[in-house]
Amino acid sequence: MYGPDQKVDIQLSVNGMPRRGAAEPRRTLADFLRDDLGLTGTHLGCEHGVCGACTVLVDGEPARSCLMLAVQAEGRQVVTIEGLAEEGKMGPLQEAMWEEHSFQCGFCTPGMLVQLSHLLKTNPTPTEAEVRASISGNLCRCTGYESIVRGAMAVTRRQPDGD
Amino acid sequence: MGTEAGSVPGRQGVPVGERFTGSSVKRMEDPSLLTGHAFFVADARLPGMLHASFVRSPLPHARILRVDAARALEAPGVVAVLDGWELAKLAAPHGVTGELGQAKDGPDFSILATDKVRLVGDPVVLVVAEDRYLAEDACDLVEVEYEELPALASAEQALAAGAALVFDALPGNLVSAGERQEFGDVSQAFAKADLTVAAQIRQHRHQNVPMEGRGIVASFDKESGSLLVNAATQGVNATREALAEQLSLPQEKVRVQAFDIGGSFGLKFGASREEVAVCAASMVLARPVAWIEDRYENLSASGQAREESFRAEAAVTSEGRVLGLNVEMLIDAGAYPGLAAMVVPTVREMVPGPYRMEALAFQATVAATNKASYVAYRGPWASETFLRERLMDLIAKELGVEPLELRLRNVAHRGESPSRMVTGPSLAGLTTRESLELMAELVNLPEFRRRQQRALERGRHLGIGFATFIEPAPGPRALDKPPDPDEMEHVRVGLDEDGRLLVYTAQMPHGQGHRTTLAQIAADQFGVDLSQVTVVVGDTDSAPPGFGTGGSRSATMTGGATLHAARRLRTKVLEVAGQLVDVSPDQLEIRHGEIFQAGAPDGLLSVAEVARAAGDGSQLPEGVDRDLQATAVFDGGEGGWSGGTHCALVEVDRETGQVEVLRYLVVEDCGELINPAVVEGQIRGGVAQGIGAVLLERSVYDESGQFLSGTLMDYLLPTAHDIPPIEIHHLQSVLLDQDVNFRGVGEGGMIAAPAAVCNAIADALGSLGVEIKEQHLPPARILELIAEAQG
Amino acid sequence: MLSDNGPDARVLAGGQSLIPMLSLRLARPGLLVDLGRVPGLDRIELGAGSTFVSCMVREAQAERSEALLRRIPLLRDTLPLIGHEAIRNRGTLVGSLCHADPAAELPAVALALDAVVTAQSASRGSRRIAARDFFLGPYTTSLQDDELVTGVEMADQPPGGSCFLEISRRRGDFAMAGLAALLAIEAGKVQRLRLSFCAVGDRPILWTEQELQVAGAVLNDDLIQHLAETTSAALRPIADVHGSAAYKRQVAAVLVRRAIRLAQLRAESGPDPETGSGG
Repeated sequence: MYGPDQKVDIQLSVNGMPRRGAAEPRRTLADFLRDDLGLTGTHLGCEHGVCGACTVLVDGEPARSCLMLAVQAEGRQVVTIEGLAEEGKMGPLQEAMWEEHSFQCGFCTPGMLVQLSHLLKTNPTPTEAEVRASISGNLCRCTGYESIVRGAMAVTRRQPDGD
Repeated sequence: MGTEAGSVPGRQGVPVGERFTGSSVKRMEDPSLLTGHAFFVADARLPGMLHASFVRSPLPHARILRVDAARALEAPGVVAVLDGWELAKLAAPHGVTGELGQAKDGPDFSILATDKVRLVGDPVVLVVAEDRYLAEDACDLVEVEYEELPALASAEQALAAGAALVFDALPGNLVSAGERQEFGDVSQAFAKADLTVAAQIRQHRHQNVPMEGRGIVASFDKESGSLLVNAATQGVNATREALAEQLSLPQEKVRVQAFDIGGSFGLKFGASREEVAVCAASMVLARPVAWIEDRYENLSASGQAREESFRAEAAVTSEGRVLGLNVEMLIDAGAYPGLAAMVVPTVREMVPGPYRMEALAFQATVAATNKASYVAYRGPWASETFLRERLMDLIAKELGVEPLELRLRNVAHRGESPSRMVTGPSLAGLTTRESLELMAELVNLPEFRRRQQRALERGRHLGIGFATFIEPAPGPRALDKPPDPDEMEHVRVGLDEDGRLLVYTAQMPHGQGHRTTLAQIAADQFGVDLSQVTVVVGDTDSAPPGFGTGGSRSATMTGGATLHAARRLRTKVLEVAGQLVDVSPDQLEIRHGEIFQAGAPDGLLSVAEVARAAGDGSQLPEGVDRDLQATAVFDGGEGGWSGGTHCALVEVDRETGQVEVLRYLVVEDCGELINPAVVEGQIRGGVAQGIGAVLLERSVYDESGQFLSGTLMDYLLPTAHDIPPIEIHHLQSVLLDQDVNFRGVGEGGMIAAPAAVCNAIADALGSLGVEIKEQHLPPARILELIAEAQG
Repeated sequence: MLSDNGPDARVLAGGQSLIPMLSLRLARPGLLVDLGRVPGLDRIELGAGSTFVSCMVREAQAERSEALLRRIPLLRDTLPLIGHEAIRNRGTLVGSLCHADPAAELPAVALALDAVVTAQSASRGSRRIAARDFFLGPYTTSLQDDELVTGVEMADQPPGGSCFLEISRRRGDFAMAGLAALLAIEAGKVQRLRLSFCAVGDRPILWTEQELQVAGAVLNDDLIQHLAETTSAALRPIADVHGSAAYKRQVAAVLVRRAIRLAQLRAESGPDPETGSGG
């Protein structure tokens, strides 16, 4: 049991690397990733679980990191947007979205990319309706979504090299 | 999709027939955004950085009797607690910071509330602590005692006799009561008219809601007395001006930087009260202080827009020609003065739109209420389009004419006189008629009407709605006004010793892709590849004059200034090159960063070599201009309108009131397209906000002024399920300028879409006798309107 | 732990309802009891004639359980309507029941199915609480402060037709009105009808064929219209920014008509051999 000011040791895997830190029980996973681990790619747009900008993968499944406490991630495998690019090299999804002008301001982008990378892993050739359903919990204020959908659909036409 | 025929979409560095302009080249901005390596203000981490949080009023209108911060000061991690009185000593505004950072006429107010709070969310106390969680904990410990005052929850309430005053210095809560102005012969127009169509039409309060809220990191260095600011702002110069003024610092002592910005749509401008307070705290503490607004603050206190209502009468002939309008406008400006009064002249000027009207009478009243301040939101004057386009449909219905046909009867033919709006601006080059005609073809109206009738027989309600608009992007040159350099865009272009072209602008892109679009222009004009150009933004130390991004100025004004500056630099470079290779400069050209003699296949030397030679000087004779920089100032030239026609097709479920937008089309004309994908992204984003405004978005205050839409479950934004694919067709206006024919498109989508969607809903429910005179049509309201119509 | 700390302790299951309340500072528990680390709480136990869903079964996990959805087709309709994928990956069925948001879908479904929760306390052992005794009001259940729900038991749906429909502002939002309908008909006459609403009162609201006095009645348009009018007129919905009470009553009536018709269609067409749905 941990007191409110007491920091709990947390060990987890982030983007394939073992990481550790210490956080109060009430600290969210999002804040832990951004502030304690320095991974500011994950963004906070609402902090009440609606906008999806904070979406990360936890044990392979999309989760809103603003709706998880850091302590709940103990022992888990977390993947953030920084982990979607191997050695900083963009993968087929990012390349397609660059090509298709999918994003404008870039704030919703991390959550969108995490969500879509998960979709494409489980369903490599989604229909447009499936893409829209997948990102229906990710808010974008700039694009009207069409360019994002086009980017995701474009991936299915690209053959990833050696993926 | 709309990439230009023959262009090579998205291939980095591969020009279209040797031109980047006109091609959807990939954005330079994207790699860092796509890999999680962007730098938004919330990502800043400075040594010793503290976090600020605000205690805010839970009441819409109250006197502050007592503030007790004793327990907060004792709380863990707390470094400072500042109330309104302490801040008033540090920051003393003489009026509204307003747009452009200039003080405006209006009641004085304090940075944090001192004697009174004037809206739910009004900031009262600033807490600074080691960590954001601790700062918020300490906020909970601040005790504020209030004495409630009657709250003014609507403009009508605020203007009523005997109403409580939001500001003692604003009698009657009247921010401004403009005189009625007449253009053309109004009484004659109404005398000639065969009928008068009158309506009260209103828009509801809604707001920008960028995905990133406001944020600032302020670092004051005591020794040098200088303030370094990292702010999410649309214009670093305007922010510096506002902060310097509010904090009584010389401008040279304030440096404002901006990096990646998560959208703004007009919100993040100048300096808000909270931002001034945070800077003041940094000055007191001599440590960096960060404030990152949370969503509740953004929704309740950052500012709102669009709460405007009209009484209008149209003088109409029996053939449906609208001779003139008589318009009275009322704006709910919220509590602290913002943009509201400034929007009136533009609404007045724009309301005739692209139609041939001979007369306009216009009067506007702006009232203060206990709500969030009126801020700029993408096309702040857009109510003129909503009013006009809704009126056109009401007139069409009255006359039994197809709405599209009515518009065609009222739009000027290009080249026909008069070629000016009755309010003055030139209409030269408009392709409104062409856009209406193309739209008619695209939607096949007769076929739709047959489909609509068949659906109605099966109990389903389909509707189609149109809206035409023109957007001053940036607008034609004003009549009788001498050119004002302060209102123009300045661009400075330079060359570094590696031959890299640097383009300096005060534009502050926050999604518009300027780092790419301006580079496309510069690359083409100067003669280098796109990869050889860097657009430098976001630092008052290097920015030329200019207020920043907004008002749909960048394509024309900054694009034009970039074009001319790049050409001037090319001339200078060729002068120097000519000296170095002993060839006359008019025989030389620059391609792919190399200097060639015209017609010769081999490059003579590189631009980098020229830059180094100019820097060194030893190889050049006296008197040669070695300063490889050029500036240009551009006011937008002639024309300057974007515009077109929007069309929405909807289905309304009359049992539940739910609306689905089945199809959305845009025929628009923004002249030459610098980057088609960027243009279309702007249009689609604007249309999405317009659809959101009608079907989902409303900033809600109840009758007692209590704020009810403080989370994203209450203020609903459109999702991927709510916005259909948007078909875009480009027209190209008559080229009016020899060189610069790009127009802005940033705001058009949001200006026209609400009217198109409301017109479509009205069309769908017309058979039920429903009349639409308002912009927000959620399901509950639609059922109410149906019930009212059915009696 | 719950018994030691009383109302100051809250159970953390999926966190999708609780953690936003912490962020908004609407809930300030002194202690969070995290069930996520306790092994064995994520079982879907398929028994003879009923299924026991343990307290840490995520909504996404339930959505992927063909066996569960075959036995309880109502969940096939309902689960995809709850929030979004990322919410369902963490949110739990039992957590939703215990949170008892009047607008939430699962409490209405539990009520329709006559589900039974098992509540356990350190001192008093376990007890079973039927859904009709569980939901007392907004965010209020009959649980004691020291009780933890270890799971919920739902009987296999009997033959017939069922559906869950809702009217919401956007897909994935909380319902403005929602309805779970279960129907069994024989020779065109109502044998069994259960209508369970969410979002139109301070808790889910159930009507049975007995209460509606339609047992044995011929199921036709008139009866459906009568049911729509009677049920909606009796509702006392709570107005909010999304809809007035009158609006919610109106759409509740629409839902009754649409849901009964859909349930009837499914009852008449028989179970889908592939998915077992329609039953």
